[in-house]
Amino acid sequence: MSQFDRDQGEPNSGDPVDVRLLAEIAAGVEDAFVELYRRRQNDVYRFAFAMARSRSFAQDVTQEVFLNVLENASRFDSNKGSVRAWLFGCARYVTLDRLRLERRWTDDMPPEAATFDGDERLLADQRVERLHAAIARLPVEYREALVLAELQELTYAETAVVLDCPVGTVRSRLHRARALLAAMLDENDPAKADAGENLQPLQAREVCS
Amino acid sequence: MSDAPNDAGRLQADLAQLRAALRKIEAPALDEDAVRAKFRDAQRLRAPKIAAGRAGGSWRHPLAAAAAVVLAVGAAVTAVVWRGERAEPTAAAADAPSDAPFSVSAFQPLSSSPRLASSSYSVVRVRIPLSAFAAVPGTEQGGSIEADLLVGEDGLARAIRFNEADALAVSVADQ
Repeated sequence: MSQFDRDQGEPNSGDPVDVRLLAEIAAGVEDAFVELYRRRQNDVYRFAFAMARSRSFAQDVTQEVFLNVLENASRFDSNKGSVRAWLFGCARYVTLDRLRLERRWTDDMPPEAATFDGDERLLADQRVERLHAAIARLPVEYREALVLAELQELTYAETAVVLDCPVGTVRSRLHRARALLAAMLDENDPAKADAGENLQPLQAREVCS
Repeated sequence: MSDAPNDAGRLQADLAQLRAALRKIEAPALDEDAVRAKFRDAQRLRAPKIAAGRAGGSWRHPLAAAAAVVLAVGAAVTAVVWRGERAEPTAAAADAPSDAPFSVSAFQPLSSSPRLASSSYSVVRVRIPLSAFAAVPGTEQGGSIEADLLVGEDGLARAIRFNEADALAVSVADQ
């Protein structure tokens, strides 16, 4: 999705299959719940993983989000956006609650790097991992905007719905997030740092790999 | 991050790489049995919540609420029976609720139901024993009557309508 597409996008009801499944869940259809879980668990899981860099955290968030779906399926309003965006909204609340609970805000974030195998090896790329670590240190309002718009590829309008703020606020948060990221990465640039300094993310990864 | 300063273009390229990497991350394999068990647990928990919601509203005494529902349904049955007395009798209804469409009365609001608006409703077909309406003439002989309940998204019944054939059978038995 190009920058232009993201900027121009408007909230829409999204995949009609998702909408149907959610309506069936509200009516008590068990198979619909299993199907929606199967279709959308990766979206929720990736959002939580991107926010907190922890597989166990992402797994817990995913389970809690779908429990919330059971409780609140009838409250979904397709006029306000897609089921996917609605799920991100649920995931956001659960994630923020858990981050508060676990005191994982920004600087308190433990250097928990995931273990990488198979296709995930790309994440082990030093540059990508340093970027992910930097994102995890962003203030949460910038982090969630960046994760939704840049990593989950929601349109700005969809991101605004999820964050419950105007599109202009999404734009300004993204602008600020990119500026902070650039500064953080520049500071952490090994080429600019003295030997042995500013290598915390790399050391953390080496311990876990 | 690299030998070169982190300009906007480089940051976008790195974000694209991270995005691609995240796309390849999968949640743990779905444990379908566990997911189904959670669904059933949640469904079981919903019924007490609905009952609690009734008690927490204007109907704080469950017995009073139940009595009011029976009275409301009874009143509705009475209205249908009364109208049925003026019509030609037809065959008695089957014992079990059927999925087949039947000739129905108009929906009549249940006075015990909350007046909150609901954005969507479900129609649930039930068979109600006539013994529940002992005060209504024509219901002493036993049997049951088939009805549709209009249920709001909160699980509370808002209105009821009856199978006209069943209502007529009640009327004929009374005469």
